[in-house]
Amino acid sequence: MNDNAKRVIDAGLNLLDRQIIDKDGMMAGNVDDLELTFPADGGPPVITGILAGPGALARRLGPRSGAWLESLHSRLHPAEQPGPARVAFGVVRRVADHVEITVSRSELDVSRFEEWVRDKIIAKIPGAEA
Amino acid sequence: MTVRELAGTQMRFSDLLRSQVIDAEGQEVGDVHDARFVKDGPVQGAFGPGYRLQGLVVGHGNFGVRLGFDRASVKGPWLLKKLFQRLHAEARFVDWSSVDSIEDEKIRLNVRAADLRLVEALPG
Repeated sequence: MNDNAKRVIDAGLNLLDRQIIDKDGMMAGNVDDLELTFPADGGPPVITGILAGPGALARRLGPRSGAWLESLHSRLHPAEQPGPARVAFGVVRRVADHVEITVSRSELDVSRFEEWVRDKIIAKIPGAEA
Repeated sequence: MTVRELAGTQMRFSDLLRSQVIDAEGQEVGDVHDARFVKDGPVQGAFGPGYRLQGLVVGHGNFGVRLGFDRASVKGPWLLKKLFQRLHAEARFVDWSSVDSIEDEKIRLNVRAADLRLVEALPG
């Protein structure tokens, strides 16, 4: 059996809000929510994905703050109906004080949104080139 | 939807955390504070066996719950631990087999609140 994580966890305590570290040791966002999948043949749900970024965090805030963040995320995001950035749990290498993944942050949706905001919005603010 | 009808669907963990739990007699048990998972589910790529939901930690009020000081396995200042453990002393563990349906931020159980056990400390 893999010894890469505790056998029993309370997800809110042991997973939520943990930092995601990519294969190069770079920060790749936070665990803002989790995707649970109910097996087709029945039984309890299984954690199949990590959801990160404003699209995931919005639901955890209060109704007013959450709606505001979701609306802002939708307006800024290049996609028409942006969902939260998803990291498949299958690329998780280890769960400890942080969550290590086996892929580079550049391959994740959460980084693509950040890069889009950097290139399309931040770069156009006067003085951004300095 | 009944648990059986949920087969093949997905939900977010935060949807569980917002839910109110109601027992088989219609009495409110509390809100979902957390969910306990065991690493014995279907294999998830490089991670190996996935985390399968074992049950829910349910209690009243959630002040301090995210800090974890209400749970025996979490280290912290003894004064805060005593305070939060007293605040959440009534928290109960709902085994997944006791969940009947999930709908509109309400989780209905097939057991009575009085039959639910206290939350055990996380191992190790």
